[in-house]
Amino acid sequence: MALIEVEKHEVEEEQKPEPVRVRGLPFFPHFLLREVVVMCLIAGGLIMLASIYPAGLLKPADPFDTPSPIYPEWYFLYVFGFLKFWTWDLGPIPAKMIGVTVPMVLWYGLLILVPFIDRNPSSDIRKRKVAVTLGVIVLIGILYFTYFSIVHH
Amino acid sequence: MTLNDKIYKWLDDRFKLSELLPPIVKHPAPLNVVSNPLYCLGGTAFLCFLILVITGIFLAMYYKPTPAEAYKSVEHIMTAVPMGSLIRSVHHWAANTMIAAVMLHMMRIYFMGAYKKPRELNWVVGISLLLITTTFGFSGYLLPWDQLAFWATKIGTGIAGSIPVIGGYISLILVGGNDIGAETLTRFFAIHVMILPIAIATLLGLHFMMVRIQGISGRL
Repeated sequence: MALIEVEKHEVEEEQKPEPVRVRGLPFFPHFLLREVVVMCLIAGGLIMLASIYPAGLLKPADPFDTPSPIYPEWYFLYVFGFLKFWTWDLGPIPAKMIGVTVPMVLWYGLLILVPFIDRNPSSDIRKRKVAVTLGVIVLIGILYFTYFSIVHH
Repeated sequence: MTLNDKIYKWLDDRFKLSELLPPIVKHPAPLNVVSNPLYCLGGTAFLCFLILVITGIFLAMYYKPTPAEAYKSVEHIMTAVPMGSLIRSVHHWAANTMIAAVMLHMMRIYFMGAYKKPRELNWVVGISLLLITTTFGFSGYLLPWDQLAFWATKIGTGIAGSIPVIGGYISLILVGGNDIGAETLTRFFAIHVMILPIAIATLLGLHFMMVRIQGISGRL
């Protein structure tokens, strides 16, 4: 695959404009070709999965017949898991309210604020011990609550 | 002069293609992006989105969002419509893959610290895209109107309804009444095929524009 060097002119200060060489794959046609190959692989994988495991369809909805167990989509399992896990009232706040608020409102609130909470300018993983540790803990937590929701059904 | 050259010249005379195209076509993809497969995740999610749009349009041609017809129409898609079962199953798998890809993409950004200055706002847009993607999944779950769809939505809207202060309103907006019924189904259908697609297309545009302006974050 042809690697080329593309010239870029820096428009900085009164220094003599030295061309900065960016090593990379030109978008067209080389990079695009690779992308198309990857896309074909993914599309093929999806068609294969769909043929082997077709989307299911149970009995028609019946409001008077509660089936058991009921599972939500896998990416919401951790919410259910946390709701089942948290059974302690905190003062006047009932346990259920905490169980609902923490994995939805608090979790997404914190997630959106990540760049404004983490003011460490380094993107070197060795200099970001706190952020990486917290990330791993949260990840393990979500996996644990997902597991919890499946086991305690 | 071949036909291609003529078409190009005709367009070039009108839209200045020779000035417009080179920055796009010759723009280099940085080597670290080319060599590390972790950088595929965002693109995978976007590809899944495109597949979902196409299969979703086909499904919408046969689907009927009323309690009496919904289940029957999905059954019809699965058994009678040519390729219907394949289209619905690809829609199902592309949806799950998209959510997984979006989550893994977010984890890559987090652990590589790629959300730091100047990319804070793109992280915020990215989290909104994650929220929209999971809401897509939640709203699509009800549409087949089978037992799983009905009861999972009952519990899901119940949980959303017990969020303090705003929960009651969220639940009322989603369910459209006290119980899950025809109102809920048409609401979820409208959310799934009208509101969320417009929202996600807008935010995806912003997401990609910011990447284009700021470039992809440097090495690990």
